[in-house]
Amino acid sequence: MVFSDLFFLFVFLPAFFVCYMVGAGIDRLMRSEGNAAKNMVLVVFSLVFYAWGEPVYVLLMVASVLLNYVVGLLIARRRRGRRAVLVAGVVCNLAVLATFKYLGFLASTLLGLGVAVEVPSIALPIGISFYTFQALSYLVDVYRREEPVQRKFSDLLLYISMFPQLIAGPIVRYGTVARELERRHVSAADFADGAFRFLIGLGKKVIVANQMSEIVDQFLVVGFDSLTTAGAWVGIVAFTFQIYFDFSGYSDMAIGMARCLGFHFKENFDHPYCCSSITDFWRRWHISLGSFFRDYVYIPMGGNRRHQAVNILVVWFLTGLWHGASWNFVTWGLYFGLIVMAEKYTLLRVKDRIPAVVLHVYSLAAVVVGWGIFYFEDFGAMLRFFHAFAGGAVAGYDFVAVSALTDHFWLWVAAVVFSMPVRRGVSALTARMLSGHAVALRGVELTARLTLSLALLVLSVALLVGATNNAFIYTRF
Amino acid sequence: MDKKIYVTLIVAVFVAFTVVFDTLPRSTYSELEKRELKKFPPFTADSLKNGSFTAEVSSWFSDSEPYRDVFMALSMKVKGLMALTLPGEETVRFHASDAPAAAADTIAEPAGGEMGEYVNNVTADENAKIANAGIIVVGEGKKVRALMAFGGGAKGGGSYARLANAYGRALGSGVTVYCMAIPIASEFYCPDKARSATRPQLPVIRNIYAQLDEGVKAVDAYSALAAHAGEDIYLRTDHHWAPLGAYYAAQAFARTAGVPFRDLKSYDRHVVRRFVGSMYGYSKDISVKEAPEDFVYYTPRGINYTTTYQNYTIDEHYRVTGVSKPARGPFFYHYRDGNGGAYSTFMGSDAKLTVVKTGTANGRRVLIIKDSFGNALPGYLFFSFEEVHVVDFRYFKKNVKAYVRDNHITDVLFACNIFNAYSGAMNRNCMRFLTQDGTITPPPPLPGGPHAADSLKRPASPTAPADSLPRHHAPARQPDSSAVARQAVPKA
Repeated sequence: MVFSDLFFLFVFLPAFFVCYMVGAGIDRLMRSEGNAAKNMVLVVFSLVFYAWGEPVYVLLMVASVLLNYVVGLLIARRRRGRRAVLVAGVVCNLAVLATFKYLGFLASTLLGLGVAVEVPSIALPIGISFYTFQALSYLVDVYRREEPVQRKFSDLLLYISMFPQLIAGPIVRYGTVARELERRHVSAADFADGAFRFLIGLGKKVIVANQMSEIVDQFLVVGFDSLTTAGAWVGIVAFTFQIYFDFSGYSDMAIGMARCLGFHFKENFDHPYCCSSITDFWRRWHISLGSFFRDYVYIPMGGNRRHQAVNILVVWFLTGLWHGASWNFVTWGLYFGLIVMAEKYTLLRVKDRIPAVVLHVYSLAAVVVGWGIFYFEDFGAMLRFFHAFAGGAVAGYDFVAVSALTDHFWLWVAAVVFSMPVRRGVSALTARMLSGHAVALRGVELTARLTLSLALLVLSVALLVGATNNAFIYTRF
Repeated sequence: MDKKIYVTLIVAVFVAFTVVFDTLPRSTYSELEKRELKKFPPFTADSLKNGSFTAEVSSWFSDSEPYRDVFMALSMKVKGLMALTLPGEETVRFHASDAPAAAADTIAEPAGGEMGEYVNNVTADENAKIANAGIIVVGEGKKVRALMAFGGGAKGGGSYARLANAYGRALGSGVTVYCMAIPIASEFYCPDKARSATRPQLPVIRNIYAQLDEGVKAVDAYSALAAHAGEDIYLRTDHHWAPLGAYYAAQAFARTAGVPFRDLKSYDRHVVRRFVGSMYGYSKDISVKEAPEDFVYYTPRGINYTTTYQNYTIDEHYRVTGVSKPARGPFFYHYRDGNGGAYSTFMGSDAKLTVVKTGTANGRRVLIIKDSFGNALPGYLFFSFEEVHVVDFRYFKKNVKAYVRDNHITDVLFACNIFNAYSGAMNRNCMRFLTQDGTITPPPPLPGGPHAADSLKRPASPTAPADSLPRHHAPARQPDSSAVARQAVPKA
């Protein structure tokens, strides 16, 4: 199930909230501080949510949680050999991930090199990259004694499977929610902020990302024999917006729903297209993944103290590979790794002396080219695309490219505007204009929030009716 | 306090949506999209296990929303508002109907001659934009015209010629086979600026006709249509041609077949006003809805004819499950003003075998094997043949050789639009007619479960034949596989 699905919005979610409130009532009746009934409801609905898309692989996920539960207990109990248990646990997790995500890729790569192997066809379980990484963070944090071990299986299952973040992140660290699994409180403010956040995310996905995807399909899906240079640019810039609004919209919805339940996830995006360098971009894009690699790969490998260049390349190789079992993702990762490394010795040292606009244009250009590598899993298509992109097309521009710009003009404007921290700016501005008029300020804020929320909801529902192209890009990683 | 007001109101609206979507009766048919909406999927252990059951439930839920068309209309309105309209654009001239047929001068006469290049003097300077599914929306205001793009390469279409050739050989010398490939509107009305959004159809039609055996006759509908491009020969808001276009094509056929033909003076003119066809739903462009047109058709005067139908029953995958006994019925069904299904005027739908016995006693009997474009042809041929048999290329269960023999058919006409000619759909289905034995077997389960069924599904519905559309959305630049819908390729 995906969030931007009418069935999710108007069947699953209401049913869930009703049951969850019943659970909360039971918890209150038991006069306990705990969340046993609420958590049970959340687990059951999370499993249904997952099974809706993966009726068989849901067992794989539960088995994975069971494994990590046992490994976690072993690490916590043992004085000696903890490290060996951790290593065994990590290897098991990675082996599962490798089997289901990378085996076919490995085999076909070997086949391409002339080794006679059979290429297995294994369907990729939704969200396996996300939940495996969460499990890894759990094991490592327990090993490092940063977090206490989880003794309740159901709570560990809840941590891994919680439906807001289950299939497309953010990658929530165990420490972020460990305490809230046991005890959490939802205030009206929490719920209001969560609901608002959810609707913002829904709008990002349904209103911007879905329309952008139609433009992308117009230019990048079919053969390139008549793709113009302008068409290549329009297509890939549309994809640039699509993937941001798609993925950050999903994160907004996840964070918002979790907030409504009393969980406080960390932010996953911070206006990445406002970056001033590629290094900066990666501090703002998919933050939970970047920090995962930083804390669990880069620093343990020695960080900037030992063979930093190797560490950087390994991290970026893995970042690329994490996104998909295909060489273009690896290329994409290494592309950024090389840029980040080059920036370290050049750009970042002289950054203060370069005009901000130059830095910004450079960064965005590098990001857009990166999406070109990311988009095409077929290298032949990628080369043909970049040939057109670089001006080698049959024509500079054509009607189709111009039409894609003019006919979706306000969509492009909205995409550009909402890539910037516009809400922050607007509320700062109104606060300044109405400073001293607290009542008026509150009234304006409430009206603005309500109007925006309702508009987003109604528009999104209207656009979802009959939407054909609605899957989230990041659920496949 | 503020937060409580906010939460209360948002939850209230959410609950209201939930109540509407979960309790009100679900929509079953979309007038906008002219199709039956999804039904609740049957449950099987297998479909649950492979995930198709839950996927189908989700798509059923969003497909059959209560007030679906209201939401669709809103969504199209919103999409329409996203465009940038510059002042003055609305005033661009449009002269489809009042321009003289200047194009005629540049067209070679159809009889026996080579098909000439068409020069668009009708909409060449129009504004255009690309709407949903690569549909080209031409002009503004009341004369908006929505065109399907054609994505086929010049070397395609051979399978259609091979089909006609195979029939020519199989049916022997007593029967003449004719082959008509009908261009779609984008061939004649694509503005210059949108040229790159669609591919020329004339080379494909030439390629088809060039491959016909000597005994098989090409019917040059192309030149006949091109000569009258200044008239309303195509519907502006529907993917079909207009009955007037079919008239000129029927005339070309009669000339090729050497049968008598009456001009429009022998026909009564009927009008369905405020017609908005399929292109609104497909293009999802509000301007198409705001440019309704007259659906004009013609019924023959002063001739007694009887129409007999055998209706095929079909399942949700458009597979034939049974056939009715022959029954009389009207050939023309009149639709009320504003009805978007008016193209079904002819014979009412596709899933049937139609036999018209006319008063014309000339020993000539024609079998027309057609797609929905062909529906508009037979109504002009009652003065030309003593019997007119009409078979849809998707729904026919008899053996065609036996049928031709038993009914003393003298002429067989293939008539379909360029998509079905090009994609091989016509060939795949009709070759089977030569060998099938007439039994209707219970359809086998579709390979790969309901997902596979989706890709086979055509949007045709009993009231609105819409063959070819979603399967042929191919944006123009796709080289040689217009049959594959690229639109629905999710990147995810």
